[in-house]
Amino acid sequence: MAIVQPERIAKFLAVVRYELLWNIRKKKFLGMLIVAFALTTLSLAGGHIVSAITGNPVEPDMNFVIDSNLGLGGFGFFLFAIVTIMNTISGEFESGTIVPLLAKPVSRTTIFFGKLFAAFLTLLATYCFLMVYMAIGGTVIYGPQSNLHLLPLSLAGALFSTFVWISIVLLIGTIFKSSLIAALGALGIWFGTNIIGSILGVLSGQGWILTYIPGSGNTGFVGESPQIGFPVSTGTDSIGPNLVNYILHPSWIVTYFKINFSGSTPGQIFGEELYSEPLSIVIFTSVAVALVYLIAFVGISWYLFKRAQVAE
Amino acid sequence: MAPAIETVNLTKKYGSLIAVNNLNLSVEVGTIHGFLGPNGAGKTTTIKMLVGLLKPDGGSAKILGNRIGWDKPNLRSKVGYMPELPKLPKHLKGNELLDLYGRMYGITKDKRLKQVPTLIDLVGLKGRENDLIGKYSKGMQQRLGLAQALLNEPKLVILDEPSLGLDPIGMVEVRDIIKKLAGEGITTFLSSHLLHEVEQICTHVTIINKGVAMASGTIKQIAAKLTGSFAVEVEVDKFSEAVISNLRKLPVVKDIIREGKKLLINLKTRDDARSEVSQAIAAAGGIVISIDLRGESLEDIFLRLLDKDKVTAHGRV
Repeated sequence: MAIVQPERIAKFLAVVRYELLWNIRKKKFLGMLIVAFALTTLSLAGGHIVSAITGNPVEPDMNFVIDSNLGLGGFGFFLFAIVTIMNTISGEFESGTIVPLLAKPVSRTTIFFGKLFAAFLTLLATYCFLMVYMAIGGTVIYGPQSNLHLLPLSLAGALFSTFVWISIVLLIGTIFKSSLIAALGALGIWFGTNIIGSILGVLSGQGWILTYIPGSGNTGFVGESPQIGFPVSTGTDSIGPNLVNYILHPSWIVTYFKINFSGSTPGQIFGEELYSEPLSIVIFTSVAVALVYLIAFVGISWYLFKRAQVAE
Repeated sequence: MAPAIETVNLTKKYGSLIAVNNLNLSVEVGTIHGFLGPNGAGKTTTIKMLVGLLKPDGGSAKILGNRIGWDKPNLRSKVGYMPELPKLPKHLKGNELLDLYGRMYGITKDKRLKQVPTLIDLVGLKGRENDLIGKYSKGMQQRLGLAQALLNEPKLVILDEPSLGLDPIGMVEVRDIIKKLAGEGITTFLSSHLLHEVEQICTHVTIINKGVAMASGTIKQIAAKLTGSFAVEVEVDKFSEAVISNLRKLPVVKDIIREGKKLLINLKTRDDARSEVSQAIAAAGGIVISIDLRGESLEDIFLRLLDKDKVTAHGRV
């Protein structure tokens, strides 16, 4: 069995520290943190805003925090992935700082995974901060909260979902050695899978395909119809909420519908039932899909980084 | 003792362009070896292959007796490398960068605490070490680049254009540091296109053009190989044809060019013939006002080499 030498660990931690300092001093990361904080605050204040408009008092909601998914959602994960990782490899090549870094006696594998671990720590700290803020704010505004012990599960899911996007941004950045192409390319994929893919999938009845690509995935419902059912997304962005729901409702069955506009009344929308599956299968599939993408994209990025020559 | 750097037919191609062409190079331990060539000659490409940033397409190279390979971190632990116009992370402070790089070299905390301020002082950045590198001038980044190359107390320092971006005082300071390193027995391999810099500080030089090593050795050796002889420049008062006649009789004289009172006497040898020349002039009634022995400067050799571009199969003139 190979023994990891203490010196190797020290070098790994040096790379992590190097990257962490970069992450926390990035203006775009600080900007994103402020935006996320503002969105979380808005999410918390939503009840009061509605109350001010309607004149109805704010109702206590014991599930507010656990249902909020850190107040971020899929696009929030995507944005955090971009600001955390878009410069990690490509930025070093663009700025030329890769030259002195690669000349140090640290293997490229150590540098690559040290940088990735720094991204993980950055996100972990950020999401923890948002989660604690949401928990305290939610308790103050909506009263005592239930199931707060499931927040770490929600956090783990959020990190996992974000890392799928991280692997995509990392791969594009490593191939093109351009932060801009990494960000724009990932944005294109996000739009393709989440917006266009969702619309086409639902209308064509082939939404199951979305389960196998990164993003929000297909949408099913717990209940008899889309109108009255609880929506469940199957994608890699929804691993956290689905895990929480599985703990709370292990017997949930998710049913998928095809949206049909050809009803007898003009403008009426019908949900044509396609198939059903247990929530456990939904979670298993999304975790497996996320793992496959994560391992494949990170693996390819690592391979390319190992072989990259620095001509400029 | 194995050379500090040794390359055998080292080659690098970018498509159809041969950036480095069968380069044979030997850098002796303890020397300051200049790597001289015009822009685009292949200097930086060669250095990048040596430090593991580029993969050679042919040939082989050894650093401190170890064959270079792809991603060999241990090999880099004994080498200090300063890239051309080093790009350093702007989000870090000067002392932070040195500390982090020191950790990557596996230097202990105690040693880093001593080493970092010493190097900051050595390269003249004292007082600015707590500033972000993004606020440094080009010259200051160059100085920090030199400091990070010396962090690990290397046995071999590779400097790519170390004077680029420095003001005249900075240039002198960097040269002094390089001389100091040589005094400590550290081998220095530096690329430059500044002829006077190489001539001032280097004990050995390799001249490269279009990826081919055109000459290598000490400056004197190269001059001897290329020029073959010296010349004597003499200013004569009370000049007469008898002076020329006497000089022509000397066996060391090849030919004489006269410009007024000045004579340029090309010699057949590389020996100092000034005493024979002055005696011959005095014997003919002339008076020597000044007399100088002229050999080709590195600049003369360099320009002539580039002009002629005579290359043998082995890349040597």
